[in-house]
This record gives sequence, C-alpha cells and structure tokens, in this order.
Amino acid sequence: MATETDTQQIGTNKEDEPELDRGPFEAWAARSIKNPKRAYKAMFYTAMIFFLVTTLFPFYWLLMVALTPDGSLQNIVLAPATFDPTLLLAGDLTMGTNPGAFVEIFERLPFHRYMFNSFVIATVTTVIVLVVSSLAGYVFGRLRFKGKSPLMLLVLVVSFFPPAAFFLPLNQLFNRNFAVLQPVMSDGSLYNTPYAMIIPFSALFLPLSIFILTTFYAQIPDGLEDAARIEGTTRLGALFRVIIPLSAPGVATAGVLTFIAVYNEYFFSSLMTDPGAENWAPIVEGILGYQGQYQELYNLMAAASIVGVLPVAILVVVAQEKIVSGLTAGALKE
Amino acid sequence: MATDQDTAAMDMDTGSGGPLSSVVNWMENLSEAAYAYLLLVPAFFFITLVAFYPLLDTLRLSFIVEGARGTEPTIGLENYIDLLTGSALISRQVLDVGFTAAFPFIELGSPFFRQALFVTITFAIVSVLLETLIGFGQALVLDKEFKGRRWVRVAIIIPWAIPVVIQAMIFYLLFQPTVGFGSELMQALGIFGSTPLANSRDSFIIVLVADVWKTSAFMALLILAGLQSVDRSLYDVAKVSGASPWQRFKMITLPLVLPALIVAMLFRTMDAMRVYGIIDATAGCSTVPSLTCVVVDAVFATRQFGIAAAAAFFTAVVIGAFISIYLLFFADSDGGYF
Repeated sequence: MATETDTQQIGTNKEDEPELDRGPFEAWAARSIKNPKRAYKAMFYTAMIFFLVTTLFPFYWLLMVALTPDGSLQNIVLAPATFDPTLLLAGDLTMGTNPGAFVEIFERLPFHRYMFNSFVIATVTTVIVLVVSSLAGYVFGRLRFKGKSPLMLLVLVVSFFPPAAFFLPLNQLFNRNFAVLQPVMSDGSLYNTPYAMIIPFSALFLPLSIFILTTFYAQIPDGLEDAARIEGTTRLGALFRVIIPLSAPGVATAGVLTFIAVYNEYFFSSLMTDPGAENWAPIVEGILGYQGQYQELYNLMAAASIVGVLPVAILVVVAQEKIVSGLTAGALKE
Repeated sequence: MATDQDTAAMDMDTGSGGPLSSVVNWMENLSEAAYAYLLLVPAFFFITLVAFYPLLDTLRLSFIVEGARGTEPTIGLENYIDLLTGSALISRQVLDVGFTAAFPFIELGSPFFRQALFVTITFAIVSVLLETLIGFGQALVLDKEFKGRRWVRVAIIIPWAIPVVIQAMIFYLLFQPTVGFGSELMQALGIFGSTPLANSRDSFIIVLVADVWKTSAFMALLILAGLQSVDRSLYDVAKVSGASPWQRFKMITLPLVLPALIVAMLFRTMDAMRVYGIIDATAGCSTVPSLTCVVVDAVFATRQFGIAAAAAFFTAVVIGAFISIYLLFFADSDGGYF
C-alpha cells in the first residue's frame, strides 16, 4: 500500500503536463489519480484473482494429469499433450484425452472400498463425537458446578499434544489380544479393524466439538429449558428434545468439522492398519497404493485424488457458512 | 446407589417400576454438580483412554533404557541423552549420510534427531509467518462486500478441507520432474537442483509451499472473524479526520485484530510442529525429517520403543515451550503495546 502512495505522488507531478501523449496504462493511471478508489478497486480485484488462481489451479492441473494417457505425461500445463479438439470432428468424444483413468482406478485397486472405509470411519466417529460432546457441551455451557474451569482446561490440553505422543501405547494396546473380544474379532485384537481408528479419532476431535457446542448451548434461554421441565420432561429429555433441536446449526457445524477432520487425517490413518482395503484402510492407503514398486501410475494417482476430493468439496460448497462459524467459534472461544 | 433408586422411585411414583424408569428417577434427583459429573463421564472416558493414559505410558516408556542383549532394562534418562547426542540407533541415520551437505541453512552435525528438531522448528516458524501474511491478504479480500463473494470464499476454503494425502499428491506430481512443471520452473529460476524430491533443501521448500497452500485458508477465516468484529464507525471517524487507508489499517484494523491473530498463530504453530503426513507422502521422512518422523521410524524400523517414546515426549515439550512463548507475548500485548 505504501507503493500506492508513491505512484500517486509521481502521478501528481505528471498531471502538471497534461499535453503529454498518454499510453493506455498512463491514461488509466491518470484516471485513478483523480479517483483513488479506482486504484484500490483494481488492487482488490488483482488480489482476488491471484488468490483464486493459486487455490484452484492445482485442482485443474490435477484433472489434466488424470486425463492424460499414461506415457505422454510430460509437461502438462494447460491441457494434456495429446489434447486435440479437432478429433471431435472425427467422432472422438474424448478429444485425445483419457477419461478411462477414472475407471481404471477402480480396477487396479478396490478404490471404492477405500472410500467406503473412510466414509464409515468418518460417519461413526462423527456420531460418537456429537453424542459425547453434546453431553459435555451441555454441562460446560449450562450447568454450574465446582471444578468447571479446570475440567475445561483438561479437555483443551488434549489438543495441545502431538498425536505421536499418544501413538506408541495405543499401537501396543490395539495389537494386544483381548480374550473378551475373541468372539467378535478374529484374533481378538483391534488392529486392522475400524475401531483402531474410530477410538483415537473420537477422542482427538472431541475438544473442538465440545467448545463449539458449549458456545451454542449456552445461548439457549433458561426459560425454554425450565418450561420443558415443568411440562414433565426428564433432564435428559430436555437436553435432547429442547436444547439440541434449538441448537441444530451448532450441532451441524460440529458434525461437518468432525467429518472433514477425520476424512482428512493422515497420521493414525496410515499407521493403524495394514495397507489392504480388506483391513479397513482408509483412502490414505488407497491413493498411496498407486505408487507401485516398479511403476508409478501418476495419472491414476491424480484420478484417485480427484475422486477422493469430491466428497469434501461438495461438503464445503453446501456447508461453508457452518465451517466458517464453527472454526471461528471453536478457535476464538476459550 | 440402590437405596437412592428406591427412594427416587417412591418420590416420583411414576407407576411403572422398570429398571429404566428407576435410572431416570435416580438421575432426576441428583444434585446439579453430580449430574454434571455424570454427563462428563463419556467424554473423559475417551480422553483418558486415548490421550491421558497413552501420554503417561509414553513418559514411562521413555525412561526404560534397553541394555545389551540379555541384560535387564534399566531406568534412566539415557534415551533422551542418546537422542540429543546422536548415539541412538535410528535407521535413517545410517541410510542418509549426505543429508547435511544438501541442507545449507545451517550445519547441525550428524545426529538425525537434531536435524529433525531443526527441520520441525524452521518449518513451523516459516510456514506460520507465510500463512499469516497470505491469510491476512485473503481475509482482507473476503472482508469486502462484492458479488460472488460466497464463491470466492468456497474457493479459498477448499484447499483447507482436502485430505492431507491428496494435498501431498498434488505437490508430489507438480514437482515430479517427469510429470509436473514445478521443478522445471524452479530450476529455471535457479532455486532447485536436478532431483528436487530427493534433495533435502528443495523438498523442504516443496513441503513448505504445500503447507502454505493448504492452511492459509484457516488463518484467513480466523482473521476474517476478527476483522468483522471491528466497529465500522471507527473507520468513518478516521476518514473524517483524514487518515489514509494505510493509517486506518495500521491504527485501527491491526490492533483490533491482533488478539484473534495471535490465537490463530498459536493454533497453527501447534499444528505445524506435528507435521508428518505431507512429508511422508511427498519427499519421505529420510529427505525431510520431522520430529514425528523420528518417532514413527524408531517404532517401525528399529523397534526401539524407549527411543520412540523419548522422541515423542520431547516433541510435546518443544510444543509446550512454543506455547509458553506465545502466551508470554499475548500477556504483554494485552497490557497495551498499541
């Protein structure tokens, strides 16, 4: 912005000699000096376009890599090297691209199974987190009792430690055989089951939901809860029939953020199961699976990445207000 | 508790004496504090099982020093000392001899752990600074009213919302010399060598760019929340008194947004110190080692749980130190620098 004032000053000098023949840029500069708002507007649009290009171009490029036939992957910038619109006239609908990669990813590896695993893990975790954090959020948001602040601090402390600090004992715990689990699991251990991820995620993403729901539940007027209680609802009934429905936006926010966080997680997702889809491995292993031992299937990696991004991309488009409000409420309250 | 239930059932006299209604009655008659503790049980069950117990167990494991074959393990601080002095056996240390030569920022000697510590701290500081700057820019754009703002916001949030492994794939492919144009571009600028994904310095930059691309949006959203809480009439007052836009930014926006900014930076620093996924899926842990890499490596490659635990706990301590620095700074700025 300092440079803006500079150009303005230089411009003012120029204005003293208006008979100069001006190029289009100088003319534009002269007009923006008379009306500085124009310059700010131009700056604003430049910044906006810059941010749009930097955030979205990688996705476009990824699509181009996915559409390029394997073997001609060199130097794709704006379109695949084999892209040729004239082929359309010859009756080739693909125009020299290779949409077959989007079919091949499901043939090489059961990518749909990896996606399904990720969905199951993320959904179950979200449900557990919402139920548990609803109870805790109600307590922190609406009840008065001794030890409230220390307990809240204890919840916050969890999000401060790196997952690596929890990993070793959990890994040993999940690899241990429990006689109790023998009838349910084949070998009685939790390793290679969805629980090996659902359990850690349920705890790790709990603090954020608790803080979001605490804020939302605290805003419901006491009178509404009292009225429900006088009508004869139980304590838990008042929570589930009055407080939670009235805070539906808050619950949705916490749910969306938890789902995205679990779907995106890398550390536990890559370490808590073996890579096979039948071991409940999530998309992390699916996408890395195309990094073969002898051949790297770059176009398949790109195609799989695009398919893997779609669910969260849709979620962001649909629920962007919730994401924004949840992130800011969760992070700026405490 | 049995007597509680009985009296509760008699008091309420609901007519049906099933076990469910007696539990409900028992809950109805709890004091507010007791009810509060009861509802917190599930949350603390999960947190204790997944966080507090493993944390204490990690601490315990980190003090168990495995001796030579056949001898009993002893208790002591040797794991930490071995890590810091470099006598701990970490597989990558043997594999990756040429590391420091290719990493010209600073020469730290051979201990792999010290390299990891250096990489992690540098990564955290540089990435958080860049993300704050870019996030501030994005927030200023989003703070304006304009047509299509909703869609610009979606575009800016999307990188934040995508899985780490896909973020890693994008940048892995961009800088893979046979596919992407990223390496060629950087080589033309004279920044990258011939094999960027095998060179520590080049890979560090790739990981940094990838992280900034993904998480600037998070900073932007938090800063935007701060920007929107600023009272607009302050700007009108400043305009009337003849403040330039830069002055308005410096005297009004910045000081009022600072608390939100510091909280956002604190969160991002904590997160950046845990960096693992983006490294593991692009250049690999032996090219750009982070502290978490050392833990994973010690568990899976050499199966030295004591060393792994010490590295993990040390990571937590480093993060704790960073948070304390932030809190000190925060307390200061609260006192009124501006």
